[in-house]
Amino acid sequence: MKDIYRIIFADPWPFWAGGIVIGLLIPLLYYFHNTALGVSTGYGNFVKILFRPKKLDWINKQFSETISWRVYFIAGIVIGGFISARLSGIPLFSAEMGQFTLLAGLHPALTVIYFLAGGVLLGLGSRIAGGCTSGHSIHGIANLHFSSMAVTALFLVGGIIAANILRIILEGGIG
Amino acid sequence: MAKKVGFLIFGIIFGFALSRVGASEFDAIYDMFTGSDLKLVGVIITAIVTGFAGMQLLHIKKTVRNGEKLNVSHKKLGKWSLAGAAVFGIGWGLSGACPGTVLAQIGEGKVFALTTFLGMVLGTYIYALLKQHRPEL
Repeated sequence: MKDIYRIIFADPWPFWAGGIVIGLLIPLLYYFHNTALGVSTGYGNFVKILFRPKKLDWINKQFSETISWRVYFIAGIVIGGFISARLSGIPLFSAEMGQFTLLAGLHPALTVIYFLAGGVLLGLGSRIAGGCTSGHSIHGIANLHFSSMAVTALFLVGGIIAANILRIILEGGIG
Repeated sequence: MAKKVGFLIFGIIFGFALSRVGASEFDAIYDMFTGSDLKLVGVIITAIVTGFAGMQLLHIKKTVRNGEKLNVSHKKLGKWSLAGAAVFGIGWGLSGACPGTVLAQIGEGKVFALTTFLGMVLGTYIYALLKQHRPEL
């Protein structure tokens, strides 16, 4: 019993365990709610919650219900990450971001600007692309949608270019 | 309300799985895109195969739990979709997060994830402003 507890709640999962649980969400969300898995659209709800724009047609039309199910889904993901971290016994707060923190050694103010800029690209890009990793790359491809395969290919192209430029800057001694 | 509680529970499972499998680590994404560790590719491919198999069962049944007809959402490609996807990819590679995993990062207590999240809300706001004048986006 103790071993099972440790495997599920304390040790990191092998890739296939995460893949199976995440993949099962697609048919389960359809079965229970007839809804596609997707996260990025819910950021529109947060535009409404945080900035309260009045005159933006897209926001008014797509997000008539401010606190929709998407806000609950997003809150759930935060809670899920919290539970996972508590069970691993890691500190409550951490300023590290893996190798970025280790190698870049940026001032916290510049780190804030860096991740803010990355977030802007993610938010703007996912809306123009019509979805993100969950909606396109997982849900769309699992349903064999060509549009999602094409979008995912460009996600990967952008990611490979950006991460390798970052790697040259961080590890290659340029700059 | 039952619907919202349902989504809260599904969200918790999603966030828990993302965190347990390490998808919410900056390094998981950095290592994937620089080719040094492809664990995350394995997670995504397993998720796609599992999701595909489950959807085939639902297609046989054709209806969902409450008897409604199964309604699969299909995103069409717009004129700018692929350009948007490249912009997203650059953000993914730089921030080491995507719209789902950044939420798990926040739950884990990674403080800079809050700025990635705020950036995503700002990016969505910028989209809404652009959309006001460019409906084709």
